Amino acid sequence: MVPMTVQRFVEKAWRHNADAITLDLEDGVPPAHKGAVRSSLKEAIVLAGRGGAEVFVRINKPFLAADLAAAAWPGLTGVMLPKVESGAEVAEAATLMTDLERQRGIEVGALELIVLLESALGVWNIRDIVTASPRVTQVGLGESDLCRKLGITATDAEDPFVYARGRVVIEGIAAGVQPIGMAFPLSLTPRLLPEKDLLHLATMARNLGFKGSICPHPSWIEPVNAAFSPTAEQVVYYAKVREVFAEGVARGTAAVPLDGKMIDVPVDEWAKVVLHVAALCQARDEMKQQALQRAAAFQR
Amino acid sequence: MPKRHVRRSGLTMPVNNPRFLNAVWTRGCDFVNLDLEDSVPESQKPHARTLIKLAIPTAAKGGAEVFVRINHDYVEADLEGVVWPGLARVNYPKAETAEEMRKLDVIITRLERERGIRPGTVEIGANIETARGVANALEIASASPRIKDFGGGGGYDMSRDLGVEMFVGFDQFVYGKGELELTARALGVAVHRAGAFVPNTTGSVSDADRAFREAEASRKCGFREGGGLHPNVIEPQNRGFTPTEAEVTDAKRVLERYQALQRAGKGFEELDGRITDVYEARRAEELLEWAELCAERNAEKAEAVARTKAAE
Repeated sequence: MVPMTVQRFVEKAWRHNADAITLDLEDGVPPAHKGAVRSSLKEAIVLAGRGGAEVFVRINKPFLAADLAAAAWPGLTGVMLPKVESGAEVAEAATLMTDLERQRGIEVGALELIVLLESALGVWNIRDIVTASPRVTQVGLGESDLCRKLGITATDAEDPFVYARGRVVIEGIAAGVQPIGMAFPLSLTPRLLPEKDLLHLATMARNLGFKGSICPHPSWIEPVNAAFSPTAEQVVYYAKVREVFAEGVARGTAAVPLDGKMIDVPVDEWAKVVLHVAALCQARDEMKQQALQRAAAFQR
Repeated sequence: MPKRHVRRSGLTMPVNNPRFLNAVWTRGCDFVNLDLEDSVPESQKPHARTLIKLAIPTAAKGGAEVFVRINHDYVEADLEGVVWPGLARVNYPKAETAEEMRKLDVIITRLERERGIRPGTVEIGANIETARGVANALEIASASPRIKDFGGGGGYDMSRDLGVEMFVGFDQFVYGKGELELTARALGVAVHRAGAFVPNTTGSVSDADRAFREAEASRKCGFREGGGLHPNVIEPQNRGFTPTEAEVTDAKRVLERYQALQRAGKGFEELDGRITDVYEARRAEELLEWAELCAERNAEKAEAVARTKAAE
């Protein structure tokens, strides 16, 4: 997440190896600056995409049409829609996006939506929201706004959003939309932490069902990428699992011992998932690497 | 109100393993879940189906109820092979829609009629193992009167669907389990195999100590059903889901005290920091009822075992 107000951040964002860069028009931009910032978005999108990252723009809910018009340019992957509370809001944004795609030579339907739920109503209506348009590809919680709306004073001691986070994961995955988020307490109060702590909490987030996380600071990016990608050891182990299980099935058994554990159909199925995700992560990393090299060469 | 089932422990086992099948009646479990799904290799499924009819009475020799877990993708062929006298329930994995439940119900209804089984005998167990299943919980659970208990929301299939590791030190399934429990309680059906969270970071399915702690904690959270994959966990689950003698004695005392209060025209009393009131009395009543059902179930099983031993 990069505030559009700081030109230096916008210019440097591509070097940080994030899978996606979201240029923020919303909370990171004071009201008086929003107009000026809108006019520089078209160029910022190109700058941000140089390292192979997908580029998103977080818009302001009250300025939906103006912000969408400022953001919908070639090179944009999609729009992050904050404070969503109903499917109708998503449909309204999707319709405006279709018009803009037609006007600006972007393939119709190509622009994605990341929806953020930041109120009780948004969390409650999640099913309507994530199924309101095929553009919706990711869904997350805005936990600090949620705290404010529910009258919760955030502390590190009690996790107030076990239910909300679980609901985002279940309803998102049920609808084929990727849930994104962090584990408590970082989800509630983002901060700078040593890399190993970030890795630990991001791994927890993956094991809650999230597929990635918004990073408020560049130092989050490497541990978050690592946590949401299968490790090299896991790839080796699960390749072995698949091999051992296939041998067992050939012998007529569907339960095969390996290192004191029993490998059966569900374990083999899980191994397939891990190896598939690992391959996708590797392909994404290679693509970013090539884009980075191209961009770096161009800079020199 | 129908009699509550006592299903504290149960073994899920491949029906095509004669060694397991012939020994299962000696294990002391409340139910046996004969598996046609994950523990049976694809190539052996047609053969395994033909084994169910005779396996049902074999598995029941120790007084256990007999269930069969069928395959999500082979409903027709599996049901033809499994709906026979003695079957208490069909477990349907990866249930995701009400439509699936209605389809099962129609086929089971026909087979009951054709095979001389009292209509409505065979229950449907809707195993919820995907996010979509959790999202559709209320529709699924209300789709057939054959669904007498409802729950789930964890396990390997769920972990795959969510893309989460199975054996982590926290409850990654807490929301889904909660949704399913609420659904069951809202519909007034029993809560199926949900439980308190006791971490299992090793993936062991045979840890008796952990099985006991989980069963005991689950019972105290209002759950009553167990089940597992290894004989080691049966006894600890039977024990953990059954009230202890001390709890039974205490519950009787609470009831006596409450009755005395009522006779005195009072509804509430504090004694040594402990409250006696209508809520405590109801809890004690439920505990005593459950303890009695457990004792009856134990007696039924002991009788069945004795009969089988005498006959053999």
